Amino acid sequence: MAETKNDLANRTPRTTSRMKRKDLTGWLIMLPTLLLFAFFVWEPLVESIRLSLYTAKGIRLEKFVGFSNYMKVLKHPDFLAAFSNTFVYILWSLIIGFLVPIIIAVLITETTHFRSFFRVGVYFPNIMPGLATVLMWGFFFRPGNTGVLNILLDKIGVAPQIWLTNPKWTIPLIVLAMTWKGAGSTALIYMAGISNINPELYEAATIDGAGILSRMRYITVPSIFSLGKTLLILQIISVFQIIYEPLVMTNGGPNNASISIMQLVYNYAFRDYNYPMAAALSVMMSIVLIILSGLYFKITASKEN
Amino acid sequence: MFFDNYRKKEDGVVRFYDLHSKRTKILLIAIYIICFAIIIVSLFPPVWVFLASFKDIREFRRSATILPSSFDLDTYIKTWGDLKFAKYYINSSISVVGSVVCAVVFNGLIAYVIGILKPKGHKIVFGLVMWSLLIPATTSVVALFVNINRIGLNQSFLPLWLSFGANAFYVILFKQFFEGLPKELIEAAKLDGCGYLKTFARIVLPLSKSIVMVVVIFAINAAWSDFLLPYLVLNGSGKETVMVRLFLFRTSTATDVEVLRAVAFSIIPPIILFTIFQKQITEGAAAGALKG
Repeated sequence: MAETKNDLANRTPRTTSRMKRKDLTGWLIMLPTLLLFAFFVWEPLVESIRLSLYTAKGIRLEKFVGFSNYMKVLKHPDFLAAFSNTFVYILWSLIIGFLVPIIIAVLITETTHFRSFFRVGVYFPNIMPGLATVLMWGFFFRPGNTGVLNILLDKIGVAPQIWLTNPKWTIPLIVLAMTWKGAGSTALIYMAGISNINPELYEAATIDGAGILSRMRYITVPSIFSLGKTLLILQIISVFQIIYEPLVMTNGGPNNASISIMQLVYNYAFRDYNYPMAAALSVMMSIVLIILSGLYFKITASKEN
Repeated sequence: MFFDNYRKKEDGVVRFYDLHSKRTKILLIAIYIICFAIIIVSLFPPVWVFLASFKDIREFRRSATILPSSFDLDTYIKTWGDLKFAKYYINSSISVVGSVVCAVVFNGLIAYVIGILKPKGHKIVFGLVMWSLLIPATTSVVALFVNINRIGLNQSFLPLWLSFGANAFYVILFKQFFEGLPKELIEAAKLDGCGYLKTFARIVLPLSKSIVMVVVIFAINAAWSDFLLPYLVLNGSGKETVMVRLFLFRTSTATDVEVLRAVAFSIIPPIILFTIFQKQITEGAAAGALKG
């Protein structure tokens, strides 16, 4: 109906000009926002590539050097440390960060009393500013007997630990602090997913004699599987970009045991003022992240179909 | 009885008819205990920050206790003055207010054009915006910083405010909401001779209060917590925000208790915001993530 009306209207010249005016005004209205997107999102990507191909003094470009900044970045010993740490970060965030929200969501969904209190309570850490969280956990992980976790351990008779200064524990503990902050919001997404499961599925399974655990295994788990895949990729994308936790809690230490790729970018740019090298590393990171995001969009798109 | 309202339970695994077995009842009670334990883990660290920041530095260094020996608000007020936190609060507020205005106006306008006016080529624009979601913000911060310096906008709030005007996530939230608005009202406004911008300000925005609220709340929290770009742009300008000040503790010689109190000051506004708007925040978080 509406389309035929439009077609008729388009035939008269007056409305055609009005249509054009609408197009023009529409574009004028969104022009400021488009300029902002260009300045803050699109242009920096191009600028990173350009910057990475030159040498520079401060922010002034000097001469075109091709890919030599990339080679310098890749050959630097810190790169190998940051690169392999990234996989350790991802591994630990799969073990801790991926499962915790699912468990929280499953448990809270089984409650009927206090449910909204539980929801609000687990989400609470998420509103804490990232930097404040990191400084706060620094006090918890402090070695010696005034560290908060050591005070608590002392109450149950365990000797004080050295926490972040043990290179084996640095990354898992950083991931633990990140999970404390992020798990609640992810759990809310899983809760929404679990609540959307058709209750008749559970009824039918019960009639077939399925107990609580087998209902969980054959209905709940498969139903949130695709949601889990999506959130897993989102999590990997965000773990790749981790910066403040190692920067503030350990400064990448002890002995590069927790340095992350983004922290390396930060060091090149804002400690050494070597913007081209920082840009080269950024470009390589962006390529990896864009591939991962493409994967994410593909999975969500296939889910909708 | 405690288990009576399980008659109405429709989600999750356990149903009322499972409760004739004692084991299920024990399982449920265990679940409640674990849930309370999770809440304690979630809430204890910030509570500890407030408790420990009442200790003075000698007590903090020596005593290994959770509770402070006395609650003396005066020392708190003294740290507030010593660290000049009033100034950082004002700077943060300036940064937050400008960012929120930009977040609503610029993202709202482009969503209004894409979702309602739909001029020629609007699909390409939306594609570009969606594509922006792919670009991780942190990796472009170096180039962005270089650009901001080139045009001489460093040491100013302007780039921080404007950076909130280009947020693909907010655009998507607005667009989805605007598309659900009754078309008749917008048509009627046009017949009454309202211009496009006037229609946006007088008809579309007032009808979209709920989504505007969600974006405002998220933008307030994001702008308050934002630190990398504010640090790079504002450091040394006298316009440092609370987060920039916190970051400077990384290399400064403040005492532990001062750092703790500064952390406490930095988390008070988000906690107040969350206490007032907990419903909008928790619902918006789940809904926004599922759609986005």
